Amino acid sequence: MSLKIKNLNKSFQDINLFQDFNFEVQENTITCILGPSGCGKTTLLNIISNTLEKDSGEFSGFDDKVISYIFQEPRLLPWKTVKENISFVINNQRLTEEKNEIIKKYLRLVELDDFADYYPSKLSGGMKQRVAIARAFSYSSDLILMDEPLKALDLKLKLNLIKAFRRIWQVDKRTVLFVTHDIDEALLLGNDIYVFSKAPVQIKKHFAITEKDRTLNNPEIVKLKNEIWDVME
Amino acid sequence: MKMNLTKTRIISLISTILLIVIWKIASVFYNSELILPSPESTLITTIKLISSKGFLLIISATILRGLAGFAISFILGVGLGIFAGINSSFNAFLKPILVTIRSTPVISLILLALIWFNVETVAVFIAFLTMFPFICTNVIDGIKDINPELIEMSTIYKVDKTKIIKEVYLPAITPFIFSGVSSAMGFGWRAVIIGEVLSQPQFGIGTLMQTAQTFLLVNEVIAWTIIAIIISYLFELIIRKTQKRIVVWK
Repeated sequence: MSLKIKNLNKSFQDINLFQDFNFEVQENTITCILGPSGCGKTTLLNIISNTLEKDSGEFSGFDDKVISYIFQEPRLLPWKTVKENISFVINNQRLTEEKNEIIKKYLRLVELDDFADYYPSKLSGGMKQRVAIARAFSYSSDLILMDEPLKALDLKLKLNLIKAFRRIWQVDKRTVLFVTHDIDEALLLGNDIYVFSKAPVQIKKHFAITEKDRTLNNPEIVKLKNEIWDVME
Repeated sequence: MKMNLTKTRIISLISTILLIVIWKIASVFYNSELILPSPESTLITTIKLISSKGFLLIISATILRGLAGFAISFILGVGLGIFAGINSSFNAFLKPILVTIRSTPVISLILLALIWFNVETVAVFIAFLTMFPFICTNVIDGIKDINPELIEMSTIYKVDKTKIIKEVYLPAITPFIFSGVSSAMGFGWRAVIIGEVLSQPQFGIGTLMQTAQTFLLVNEVIAWTIIAIIISYLFELIIRKTQKRIVVWK
């Protein structure tokens, strides 16, 4: 099963971001989109999540999909605790007890179960982003869109968060579409990596990663990294 | 941090004492209870007034007028403020009205209110007109200050509209409402008393102040002033305490 985008067109004023663009996302895998800033990666996510309208194009497989979104910023409500922030989005989906179980489960997976009653102002940037990840998974969605959620974090936190994300994903393999400009993030997270060109967007190359050992000094990963570098240049 | 707190308290205390000392010196200098009574005789008068029969009735009348004006300003201010914050056309419509109310001298409002209303409601009307712009403007600012990213997040996660208003908009503007209420109250009490002085309702601090002034009872005028300050201060305390209990997330 896959989600397909066919002949997508979208322009902003004079800039043609997408021109007859075609793209496919395999379900239950993590697909990474790697590309330079301003190439329209975020725009693509916004069109998929319906926050932005496309000029034209055919989408198949997206219609009945419920979407979670992990943004560049955590976007937590400052007046709600960690637990309440998650419960805020899943309220209408489930019963209270079931809801609490779900929240507990995902907070444990991002190692924040001790912080359920904290307000966001008491958490660090990395912790807040972990709450955002737990929120995205607690919401019973079919598709998770991620828009450079690690951008503002330093390397150590980044690796920590990637670990947390993979840990959750191993338990709950949802379809993930992950946008980034950082090759390392894509290598550590993705099953498929698509390298995008500048606007109007074309897919420069597709890499499928089968390697199990996702560490940055694994020779296979290093080799792949160099290949991606060459394509991105 | 604690050291600093006690330090600022000590400084505040010193300034209060200094004020009283200057008052004492001035009263010794004038040496006339008719012009400037001494702090101690004023204190005695204040206590006398507080323990006198009818005191509760008098201050309740004034407080009720203030609260009635406040309640109307609060409901209208929050309601219209939210609407103006969301709808820019309504904001453009409301803006000149707010500016006009705010820049009109209180005394003009009172003189007109004396013609239009009965003596019991003049002060309520004045309190409303002084407080309303503060609350309304603050609510408008609060709505404009809301992070659109949070609204976008809520919409993507398909949270319904009423829940977004209740759980995103309202908490976001709460600190703004409190700061509006706080400045509104500060001006409101003064306006109520001016209104009472001029409209002379049966009970009210303003009524009694006017009477005392007519009979040149300066110590009573000052005593009523002190009582008014205490009332105003108590309400400020209540507002701050409530804010602390409601805005717990900061």
